[in-house]
Amino acid sequence: MAEHTPPAPDDELSAPEPFRGGSCKLHPQTMCPAFGALRVLSRIEGAQPAMVTDAGCLYGLTFVSHFYAARKSILAPQLGTAELSSGQVQEAAQAVIAEAAKEQNVSVIPVISLCVAETAGLAEELLPTEVDGKPVVLVRVPAYAIHSHPEAKDIALAAVMRRFVDAQVEAEPHTLALLGEVFPADPLIIDGLLRKMGGRVVTTLPGRHVDELKLAGRATAVAALHPYYRETVGVLRERGIGVVTGAPIGVEGSAAWIRAVGAALDLDEEVVEQVASAEEAAARGFLAMQPLKGTTIMLSGYEGNEMLYARLLIEGGAHVPYVSTSIGQSMLTAADEAWLKAHGCETVVYRKAIEDDMAAMEYWRFDLVIGTTTLAAHAKELGIPAVYYTNILSVRPLFLAGGMIASLSFVRELLGRKPLYERMVDFFQR
Amino acid sequence: MSITLIRDISDSSSYWGASWVFGCFPDIHIVCDAPIGCYNLLGMAITDYTDALPHMANLTPTSIREEDVINGTTKALQRTIDDLRGLGTLEGKRLLVISTAESEMISADHKQFLAQLDPEARFFWSQSLDHDEWQGRERALLFAWEEYGKPLVPANAAPKAANLVNIIGPSLGCFNAPADLHEVKRLITGVGGELNLVYPYEASLAATPKLAAAAVNVVLYREFGTGLAEALGRPYLFAPFGVFGTTEFLRELGALLGTPSDQVEAFIAAEKRTTLQAVWDLWRGPQSDWFATVDCAVVAGRSYVEGLTQFLGNELGMKIAWSSGRPRREEEPDNSEIRRRLHTKPPAFIFGSINEKIYLAETNARMTQFIPATFPGPVVRRTMGTPFMGYAGAANIMQELVNRFYDIVFNFLPVEQVKVETAGHGPPAGPPAAAASAASAETMAWSKEATERLDAALEQVPFLARISASRTLRLAAEEAARVRGLREVNVAMVEAAIARGV
Repeated sequence: MAEHTPPAPDDELSAPEPFRGGSCKLHPQTMCPAFGALRVLSRIEGAQPAMVTDAGCLYGLTFVSHFYAARKSILAPQLGTAELSSGQVQEAAQAVIAEAAKEQNVSVIPVISLCVAETAGLAEELLPTEVDGKPVVLVRVPAYAIHSHPEAKDIALAAVMRRFVDAQVEAEPHTLALLGEVFPADPLIIDGLLRKMGGRVVTTLPGRHVDELKLAGRATAVAALHPYYRETVGVLRERGIGVVTGAPIGVEGSAAWIRAVGAALDLDEEVVEQVASAEEAAARGFLAMQPLKGTTIMLSGYEGNEMLYARLLIEGGAHVPYVSTSIGQSMLTAADEAWLKAHGCETVVYRKAIEDDMAAMEYWRFDLVIGTTTLAAHAKELGIPAVYYTNILSVRPLFLAGGMIASLSFVRELLGRKPLYERMVDFFQR
Repeated sequence: MSITLIRDISDSSSYWGASWVFGCFPDIHIVCDAPIGCYNLLGMAITDYTDALPHMANLTPTSIREEDVINGTTKALQRTIDDLRGLGTLEGKRLLVISTAESEMISADHKQFLAQLDPEARFFWSQSLDHDEWQGRERALLFAWEEYGKPLVPANAAPKAANLVNIIGPSLGCFNAPADLHEVKRLITGVGGELNLVYPYEASLAATPKLAAAAVNVVLYREFGTGLAEALGRPYLFAPFGVFGTTEFLRELGALLGTPSDQVEAFIAAEKRTTLQAVWDLWRGPQSDWFATVDCAVVAGRSYVEGLTQFLGNELGMKIAWSSGRPRREEEPDNSEIRRRLHTKPPAFIFGSINEKIYLAETNARMTQFIPATFPGPVVRRTMGTPFMGYAGAANIMQELVNRFYDIVFNFLPVEQVKVETAGHGPPAGPPAAAASAASAETMAWSKEATERLDAALEQVPFLARISASRTLRLAAEEAARVRGLREVNVAMVEAAIARGV
């Protein structure tokens, strides 16, 4: 690993100008927002998506859904000038809903309304709420109004939750619903922890089955592990379900989160304290070696959970001066941002564009870039170890001491690969 | 007017087709009048899966927002151009603004505005609401010629030399273009042709007038490109497939170029002993007997459908059960019908897109071999070694099919299953378990040992498969515990799930 690289520009004597971000925001960095909705909805067992949009949009979204969401056939009406100018959007939506209802084992028909359908004015009150007993749920996700892919996940999930969570059902004491697409082993580990304290995880959202959505309605509290489920949290709050924000991330985050969950689920304080302390001790033991000490790492993604990883990297000893994400700032992001700013992070950019990330690449010197495809490609052209955030980090456990150790060990390994990146750039670009 | 329904759309819109053509030129910068999604899907996500390009560097969106939908996109366009100028992106480049379905929806026509802003800039009304990607590509090629080529070429200019040949068509988003192009170039030069322009794939916008210098054009695809070939007014041929189809092409091309027929025949003779030797050897061997015994279906671009039908069907005698070309003709099966056919009577081989692959997966049709032959679907085809066209294509396809036959045989042979006994050995990967039933939706308790065993097992799974493996294993172990009436998953249940080969 590189011994040390200066965290600021070369001339350390003159006070550096503070970082000001990109000079413009020409190339927004997010997957098409609507894909977030498709990802959540098409993975529900028996959900038969019906998309209302134009051919180009349909092609792009179907392509990525078939690659990254589910191997599921997607239906849509043909919408061209003829249909749109004669006001047939409504008729088109109804036709595709009727067709979707004919599929086998349909549990729900999400109607995903996109830019051109929204511009043409698709009216919810004119759509059926169910066909042959199969629920129909309208989800409006025009890319011009929803600005990031994670936030569309929230809109989609909130739409189905409104439909499926029963307001009348009685809450089960000491139970927690987890909210966020996490590594599948993470809920198990969290559940094991809660059981030590007399609680348990009832389900994890966004679920893969309508019953999982319903189960969430029975929880005492919901833990919003990712900071962009604003509407979904709202839906659950309205039903009297408590909300725990933040995630069990790193030493400080895990202990604070365990205590917050203990309070929300009304668990035995002493036991909670014991569990929190044990977790803290396990994590501190690993962190004593400061595996990332002396490194500067850039974190730029569009998944909306970048700040969680940044916290881990910083606790592992890394300097993380810059974090950027596609989501907007909100109450749910406030705690993580404050923690980061108190621990050496100078800039958190919301709704970032590649121009912001490029400016940061100029301003700091990074040993590792965890970024979007465009940014990671740029870093590799400079011979800097770089990986695509979405593919590489989201497939690892993240939470509590175990997740921290797994993630930090992996990052440490990446840092050791610098010679490979340098050799490639030497060969191809010099 | 009745509504037409689409299942798993196969062709994109003209915005995509035109951008994939214009995007090839290094001396152009495209501004798409689009919401961020249309930019991201084309410029960042999908071109990475079709062409293995990290992103399209010469594409910028106006990022249409809600207020632009109401007030028009002129302000957004002005801001975008100002920013591009500020960054110096437009230096040495022609600016092209292209409409999208959404901007057409609000009738955002920027022709006049652009003319005032920059006389060199152009506006391309893509007609994305109505035209498919093939029409978009066709119109983009013609537009490039009419705007940037034809005005600079004297009327009735003669070809610069009698043996100069253009290749028209290869562009971004064309399945397998590098390999097919490589083969077609080899064939052209083999019979005495000299390559003039490969348009647009290896050309610049500034080189467009040079199109007129060629004596003959080879149109790579039947899906698009003839419009430009017609406008150029020179004889043109389509790229060939198969042993006999390619031979015919070489003789025709030789004649058009004025190459002595001895020279053409000498090239063909040499090819028989080199590129095509594998075809002759496989034909004489037992392998070719199989071809008469199995059927295949083809879903692909028009050129591939015609070419594969000719080579596999007419030349090798394989039964072509059915086919569907892109753009699709009325009498060809649409995706709903293709799905029905694949569910009820799948052929032994199917050439197709990810759609066909999904339809096979829906019925677990493992006896059918899927061979990628078109988009949509993520597949890297960037080497020269996978052509479908020409002599090399014939050899490559035959080799591929024979290897698939070997695989089928392999999967038929009896095998004794070996049970993995000790922890940490052998991956628990395999077919996915049944999806979550209602009962299994609820998270169960896990003993510490069981969790550790799960982790150890997952360590053995290839990295990319780990997420799905962890979920499948988890569900299977929980199901096993539930069946036995346990309230907690223990190590034995995890072992049981692993042993089941979940």
